[in-house]
Formats: sequence, structure tokens, C-alpha cells
Amino acid sequence: MELAQMQKSLQDYTKSLFLEGVLDSQFLQLQQLQDESNPDFVSQVVTLFFQDSDRILNDLSLSLDQQVVDFKKVDPHVHQLKGSSSSIGAQRVKNACVVFRSFCEQQNVEACHRCLQQVKQEYYLVKNRLETLFKLEQQIVASGGMIPAMELGF
Amino acid sequence: MLAGKAPGLQHPNSNSILRGLIITLAYDDVNRTVTKRLLEKIGCEVTAVSSGFECLSALSNVEMPYRVVILDLQMPEMDGFEVAMKIRKFYGYHWPLIIALTASTEDHVRERCLQMGVNGMIQKPVLLHVMDSELRRALQSASE
Repeated sequence: MELAQMQKSLQDYTKSLFLEGVLDSQFLQLQQLQDESNPDFVSQVVTLFFQDSDRILNDLSLSLDQQVVDFKKVDPHVHQLKGSSSSIGAQRVKNACVVFRSFCEQQNVEACHRCLQQVKQEYYLVKNRLETLFKLEQQIVASGGMIPAMELGF
Repeated sequence: MLAGKAPGLQHPNSNSILRGLIITLAYDDVNRTVTKRLLEKIGCEVTAVSSGFECLSALSNVEMPYRVVILDLQMPEMDGFEVAMKIRKFYGYHWPLIIALTASTEDHVRERCLQMGVNGMIQKPVLLHVMDSELRRALQSASE
């Protein structure tokens, strides 16, 4: 595939993630923090996010599976996931966490189980999308090209 | 990967008011990494810590002239307000400056921040230009 075509694909793909609400402007903020001195910043932070989130989701599953659910344990996990997803612009994960927290407050176990499924779904979605995005970028860089700057005109 | 430059952001070396050491404290790895990078991008030298203890230890190091603590209030295993209180207890109200990061817009959070001697507040998720202007504002009023 030609370089220009790859770059266009990347732009279109990235744009679609914003239009679908999978990512929000905070992701653009992350890209602003990347430069020649920190060329892999975005993928580094996102990788951290994946590692932390995998752990948190695992802990949440365990906590919600207990005979008696300790919401004092559950809520801080959800709060943390909300914070970190917000920091990287994973909008739908963040929104799912907001809903989750409201059910934690109500101590509604069944609803919390559903919320966890929803959060997991959104998380796996953004994870999959971002991994694809990074692959596209790697292909461009490997072909000697530059990643086009994100246009904000949509 | 090379992304576009942030529009309208002052060159980090153009204003020495921002030069100086900053401690950023956050429990969450992602937030701590992003905040640290954000501060470095605007020209600060940053030490990132993940506990109140580390923060107080760093402040007690007389060879490192820290000026500001960026304190993420959201920490599941410790109370951010308690850290602020301890800082003020040990070091008084004039130094270091404390800027709190909070996801909450509630009034009582603002109230508590003022009570704890916090010098500024920024809502999360943090934007580059907001951190920049809030830091400058706090440092400016401290030097007056």
C-alpha cells in the first residue's frame, strides 16, 4: 500500500473513533504531549492504561462474585478506572464507569454486574481500536513516513 | 510518531517563572504519568510520587528546591486532603504551593481545599493550557 494511502487510512480510522465517541478530545491532549523527546508517549500511556485496567477489571469481577459484596472495595476500583479512562480519552469506558458508580452508591448488586459487563465491553472495544491504530502508525513509520497531525475540523 | 504542535503554547524556556521543581502525587499510574509529562512539556522539572509518604520525604530533601506540589485528590488508599494537611503542618502555609487536581465540581471540595491551604484547583482531566495558566497564576501571586 502506498504511503499516502496508509496515512489517509490512519486519519480516517482515527476520525471514526472520535465520531463514534470511542475517543474524546483528551486523546488529542495525549498526542500533544508526544514530541521528538518523547516519541512513544501515547502508546506508553495507553499500554499502562491497559495493564492497570486489566488488573482492576479482574479485581472487580472477584469483588462482585463474593457472597456479600463489599461496595467499599468495589467503588474505589470503578472510580480509579473512571479517572484513568478519562485521562486517556476513552470516553465510553468513562461513561460506563459513571453509571457503574451510581449503582454502587445504591448498592444494587445485580445492576453492578450488568455495569461491569458494559464496562468490559467498552474497554475491549477501545483496546481493540487503539491496538489497530498503533499498528497503522507502525506501518507508516516502518515505510519511512510521518504520522499526519490530527485535523480538528470535524 | 510525530503529532502536531500545540497551538498558542508559549515556548517553555521563554518564561522562567515556571522553572523549578515540582512534585506530582497521584496514586493512579496513568494519571501520574500524564500529569508528569504535561508539566515537563510546559517547562517544569518534575518528581512523580505515588504516596503521601514519598511526597513528604521528597519535600524534606533540602537539596531539592521544590516549589509546587501537584496533588491528585483522588487516591483510594489515602486521603489527598490529609496529605495537604500534613504538608501545611510541617512546612507552613507559604511553601510549597499546593495545586489540587480533582474530578469533582462540588462546592464542599473547594471549601475543604481552601481550609487545607491549597493554593489552586484544577479540574480533571487536565488540559495543558489550564495547567500552564493555573501554575503561572499561583506562582505569580505567591511572589507578590
